[in-house]
Amino acid sequence: MTAIAQGTLGHWFTRNGFLLIVIALFLFFSIVTQHFASVANVLAMAHTMAPLVIIASGLALVVFTGKLDISVGSIAFLSSAIAVLLMHDAGVNAPLAFLAALVTGALLGALNGFVVVFLGINPLIATLGSMIALRGVALQLTNAILIALPESVRGLGNATIGGVFVDVIIAAVILIVVHVLHRRTVFGRRLDAIGNGEDNAIRIGIPVPQTVFLSFVASGFLASVGGLIGLLQVGAISSYLGKGMEFTAVAAIVVGGVSLFGGRGTILPGVLLGAFAFTMIANGLNQMSADPYAYKLVTGGLIFIAMYVDALRTRRLRRIPIRPPAQAAS
Amino acid sequence: MGAIVLAQEGGGVARRRLMGVALALAIAATLGGFLFAYAPNFFSVRNCLNVLIQGSSLGVMAIGLTFVMIVGGIDLSIPATMAFAAVLGAFVMPVWGIMAGVATMLVSGLAVGAFNGLAVAWFEMTPFVVTLASMTVIGGATVWMTNSQSLSDFPDGFFDLFLSAPAGVPVAVLILAVIAAIATLILSSTAYGRSLYAVGLNAKAARLARAPVEWLLFSTYAISGLLAGVAAVMLTARLGSASANLGSDGVVLDIVTACVVGGVSIYGGAGMATGAVLGALFVTLISNSLNQLGVSYFMTLVVKGIAIILFIWIDRISGRASR
Amino acid sequence: MIGAALEMTGVSKTFAGVSALEDAHLSIQAGEAHALMGANGAGKSTLMNILGGIVAAEGGEIRIAGRVASIASPRDARANGIAFVHQELALLASMSVAENVLIEDLPRRGGLIDPAAMAARTQPLLDRLGCGFGPQDPVEKLGMGDRQMVEIARALASNPSILIFDEPTSSLSAREKARLFDVIRKLKAEGAAIIYVTHFIDEIFEICERVTVMRNGRIVGSGATPDFTPGDIVKLMLGDIHQADRLRVTPAAPGERVLTVDSLSAGGFLDGVSFTLRVGEIVGLWGLLGSGRTEIMRAIIGLDPIDAGAIALRRNGALVPVSPHEAHQSIGFVTEDRRGEGLLLPLSVARNVSFGNMAAVAGRFGLIDRNRERTLATGLVERLKIKLNSVDQPVRTLSGGNQQKVVFSRWLASSPPIFLLDEPTRGLDVGAKSEILALTVQLATAGAAVLIASSELEELMRVCDRYLIVQRGRIIGDLGPDADRDALLAAVSETSASSPTLSSVA
Repeated sequence: MTAIAQGTLGHWFTRNGFLLIVIALFLFFSIVTQHFASVANVLAMAHTMAPLVIIASGLALVVFTGKLDISVGSIAFLSSAIAVLLMHDAGVNAPLAFLAALVTGALLGALNGFVVVFLGINPLIATLGSMIALRGVALQLTNAILIALPESVRGLGNATIGGVFVDVIIAAVILIVVHVLHRRTVFGRRLDAIGNGEDNAIRIGIPVPQTVFLSFVASGFLASVGGLIGLLQVGAISSYLGKGMEFTAVAAIVVGGVSLFGGRGTILPGVLLGAFAFTMIANGLNQMSADPYAYKLVTGGLIFIAMYVDALRTRRLRRIPIRPPAQAAS
Repeated sequence: MGAIVLAQEGGGVARRRLMGVALALAIAATLGGFLFAYAPNFFSVRNCLNVLIQGSSLGVMAIGLTFVMIVGGIDLSIPATMAFAAVLGAFVMPVWGIMAGVATMLVSGLAVGAFNGLAVAWFEMTPFVVTLASMTVIGGATVWMTNSQSLSDFPDGFFDLFLSAPAGVPVAVLILAVIAAIATLILSSTAYGRSLYAVGLNAKAARLARAPVEWLLFSTYAISGLLAGVAAVMLTARLGSASANLGSDGVVLDIVTACVVGGVSIYGGAGMATGAVLGALFVTLISNSLNQLGVSYFMTLVVKGIAIILFIWIDRISGRASR
Repeated sequence: MIGAALEMTGVSKTFAGVSALEDAHLSIQAGEAHALMGANGAGKSTLMNILGGIVAAEGGEIRIAGRVASIASPRDARANGIAFVHQELALLASMSVAENVLIEDLPRRGGLIDPAAMAARTQPLLDRLGCGFGPQDPVEKLGMGDRQMVEIARALASNPSILIFDEPTSSLSAREKARLFDVIRKLKAEGAAIIYVTHFIDEIFEICERVTVMRNGRIVGSGATPDFTPGDIVKLMLGDIHQADRLRVTPAAPGERVLTVDSLSAGGFLDGVSFTLRVGEIVGLWGLLGSGRTEIMRAIIGLDPIDAGAIALRRNGALVPVSPHEAHQSIGFVTEDRRGEGLLLPLSVARNVSFGNMAAVAGRFGLIDRNRERTLATGLVERLKIKLNSVDQPVRTLSGGNQQKVVFSRWLASSPPIFLLDEPTRGLDVGAKSEILALTVQLATAGAAVLIASSELEELMRVCDRYLIVQRGRIIGDLGPDADRDALLAAVSETSASSPTLSSVA
């Protein structure tokens, strides 16, 4: 299997393969259905994709350090639930409620960060635990029923400016900000540095604990942003909000070229493309009236290939290029 | 619980066991107090038996996870595999009979496990994400196959067989006991079992000592898949139906908690099947008692989420010391 | 006379009562490359850690450019103009060259990193080092030599007056090494003071003006390089080698061939290694650190991949070609890293011994019989005189020597026909060393073929029937049992320019 990837074609494919796949998928759906490639549909996909792409970008920040945060869906859910409950039960006005949600998201992220960094617990298990516990709290608070948003804000989710959905604009802005944060700030560079090898990072003098902690806070915050956008789109809080979102987010960033081993990948175009790929598949399959399971199958297969490629690529790149053999006479 | 585990391992991990045991006992005592006051029904024979039966399928799956954790891996797809196996078996059984149905459940569980094992051992993919991916795909497949319905067309003979209670002991508990005994034997007294611990403790050293590391890794996932199949049999017999709901999120947490509470280290190289079984009983007790106390399902999730972090923390602070 | 760029006098350091460095003095001039040599444990690392601010010196004085300097942390070291190029490169592979070079001090403008400034600060450094790549290139695309240049650029980014290279050539090709030397010459011309730590004697004659040799924490020799011969340096490094008691009587008639290795090569580590082992003989693999002894052994049993070459094992009276994996099944390998790779530390002695010998402890139904396990362990403990309280105690509580004996005992239980021993007496006290060597002789007397790798000539001379001289992954000599100390020292200190490539064909 490795032999395939070692050829130059294989090499090119592992670096750019997913762009190819995204294009191929787009073409496929455009041909097979009637309305897929229309401007309206693309805009609709962008709209649907907004919460996912925002949450995924936050998650990516954690993944750049080589760690994982699978509680993002639950954080999105809980912070949105809090916003709704504040408005619904306590009559708090919308902006304040949304602010509360964002603060909650950051705090929950900080909680994750605390458990991972200062208690030293394996991030997989720590965020697995918080994923389930936080969802439990949110379900408890909402009693798992549907609670509608107050009239005043219910329509916000579908507001448009000049034909473009507002939340698409918000998502675009956020993506750009997070991208710049990743590539052009010291904090962002440190994330990649840690992902390249925590021991090396410590040797170089990077403040690893603080940086990792902050990445979790950012992930929690962005999860709450995505959650709010999702809430607004639906117009009500339901127990389906964010459910399974963490897995889709992980899948989106892996397919988008972010390595789970850390230190590698981009927000733009990586995470954007990955999120788009999944949204495209859902939308396209839907338009084909295909079986709902087909979505799971295709995405599952896609994740698998992406991970395999990731593992291959990381293994290959970790081996230093072979130098010419030692010569007899120097 | 602590005594059994201590006797089978070197003394160095005693401190971790003691702390874990102390914590478990503390929680049990607290709950016991509440139960005595608010829900005395809990202590009835019927309920106790109930807990045992409920806990046995969890226990079987926890034993499967134990194998995987001992070599330092993790398998999140166990409940999803169980649901998948249950559903496949539910299709087969009405048509081809009980034995065929049971066999289908076992084989399909084994197949999923083998797939995971292949990916982890030879493709060198991260266990967490591999089993996460297979969990998603298998879960989706199950939903698709059943159209989100639940299947309950089982021949009576199936229930007669698996719900009987020879000599007063429910079959489910018997199955658990037998599997636990075999697992304990394998882990503590066979070359294979020893090799698993070695790989979990230090894969480099194991390879140097000629252990076939890839095959060992592969086998643990196959076993956990197989045991998920066994759990499928037990659960469908008890519930009388098979559906994708069998393998929800909460179950994964329960299984991992059961193992961690039972002293199976997340870092690999330590843990016994008996510990996992006791851990499973503990988790079932928590669920059952919280239920009896009227605590909502959701709050139970919160309690479990916190519990797992606590126990992993103990695992970590004493695990580092003994390495 | 220009004042020294760096002057250390009377510097000492003890760790837990054991003296690691005693009364060290070192004087480095600007514009020179000064070699620092010494075997493992000689004190070089301690000295460098002091200069790097990782440990504090006890006593003595450090002067930099004439002023007394206090180095209490890595920041201090940097502030004092000291920079390191470590043996283990601390590079961030997926990031760009510029990011790696400037990671400790990224240039910013208005809160964001300024890419123009990054390129502007990195390019001159790269030019100075004659690099063919640019600041934007990802480090992971670079070969070893180029990566090292990036590490050097990072060191240079802080404008150091003293540059310390730690084993810089271990992983370089001849061409990359030549380029490194060009860079060093250029840095010298620019006035830098360079400390060059290495095992490779031929290099210091090529690039270093002066050399200082350490042994057992003390400076045992220092001066201008032309005043020494390679043999002098080796003698200073290894100290007095007395012909210690020979523990072995070499049998008159050599036994049957049991293992042949032919032209084994592996990606830059091994180059055409060939030799033969015979029944009942002890062959020493003698070479300085980094010569490739461990690599040869690991390649034979398949722990590291090989690119070319063949291995043959004797089976049923004939030599049969085998894969390294198959060879592993018939070879007992005692690793040089007993704690990391040889033992399962948290487990008991009994379990460590039985692991790999399951057949010997099998009871009814093929299950492990605890009593047999204990008996096996106890028997071996007695035979090897391992000091412990009980075979059930965790092996990590044993002393180094006893741990090593446990490693041996595991292999003894299965009696393989071939043993590969890699530095079997490393870290052991004198008494334990003798015991292990005696054990090695027993193995050979019982009929096994033994290949023993060591950097301690003394112990090899006590037990070997034959010596294979290893240098840079190649066997450059083959000496018989009559080889005396001087001949062996001379053989290992031959520089590559003068030694023809000899392969042993027995």
